[in-house]
Amino acid sequence: MLKRQASTSDGGRTVHCTHCGRAQEVARRAMSVFCVHCTQRLIIEDYTITSYHATRMFATCGDIVVEKSGFVSAPIRVRQLTVRGRVQGNVEARGCVRIDRTGQFRGDIVAPRLVVADGAQLNGYLRIAPSSAGDRMEERAP
Amino acid sequence: MAADTGGDFPTIIGPDANFKGELRFEKAVKHLGRFEGTIESKGRLLVAEGASLSGDVKAETIDVQGEVKGNLHATGKVCLTSTAKLEGDLHTARLEVNEGAVFVGRCVVGANGARPTQESKPAAETKPAVDTRPQADQGRDRAAVGGKR
Ligand SMILES: [Zn+2]
Repeated sequence: MLKRQASTSDGGRTVHCTHCGRAQEVARRAMSVFCVHCTQRLIIEDYTITSYHATRMFATCGDIVVEKSGFVSAPIRVRQLTVRGRVQGNVEARGCVRIDRTGQFRGDIVAPRLVVADGAQLNGYLRIAPSSAGDRMEERAP
Repeated sequence: MAADTGGDFPTIIGPDANFKGELRFEKAVKHLGRFEGTIESKGRLLVAEGASLSGDVKAETIDVQGEVKGNLHATGKVCLTSTAKLEGDLHTARLEVNEGAVFVGRCVVGANGARPTQESKPAAETKPAVDTRPQADQGRDRAAVGGKR
C-alpha cells in the first residue's frame, strides 16, 4: 500500500517535532524517536504513497510523495509534500508543497512555499508565506 | 513561464501612474504603477514586479509579479511568479505558482474555478474545503466537474 524508506538526505538529522514544532537532533538511521520537548512519538521516515491511504492523522518529520496512483485522505503534517495523485485533507508543511500537473488537492495548505504546475487541480484555503507552518506548530507547544 | 515582459501589451500603466477607478480593456494591459479599483477584461493583465493593485480583477489571463490585494477571477490561467504577493481569493481554470510566491486566500483551480457562478455563492466562503459528506454525494460533485460547464 505504501512504501516506507529511511530518510537519505544528508543534512536532515535535525528534525522538527510534528506536535510542538521544536527542533532536535536524531540519529542518522533512526526511523522514529520520542520528542525530547513534548515526549510525543515522532515518525521521521519519508513516504511514497502509491495507493489509497486514509488515516486520522498522517504526520512525519520526513517527506511525503503521493504518486499518480496514490490517494491520501488525511490531515497531513510533513516537511515537504509532493502531490502527483490525489490528496484530500489539510496540510501543514515546514518546507515546500509541490502539486504537479497530474495532482488533485482538496484541503487547506499552510506552508512557507508552494509550487503549482499548470494543469493541477486545487481547492482550499492557502496560507503560503515564509515561516507559516513553523509558527503555527510552535503555537501548540505546551 | 507565461509571464514574459515582452512588448505585446497595447496598454501600459506606467510606474509613476496612480490609478483609481474601473478599468476595462480588450487585449492586454501591463500594469507597473498603483491601481485601486476593479478591472474587467477578456484579455490579459500583467501586474509587474514593483506594481501594486488593490481591488477585484476578472480577466482571461492574469500574471502576477507584484502585489495584489483583492479577488482574482480568470477564465484561462493565473500565474504567480516568485516575487508575487497575493492576498485574496482566486478562481481560475489553470494555475501556475512559482516557488517564493506569497499567497493568502481561498483558491479554486480547475473546471469549477473558471465558472462565474462560483463567486456569487456566499456558502462557498464558510464551507470547509474538505468534504465530509457521504461518498455518494461527493461522487455527484466529481461527475459535475467532468461535465462541460
Ligand atoms: Zn514535540
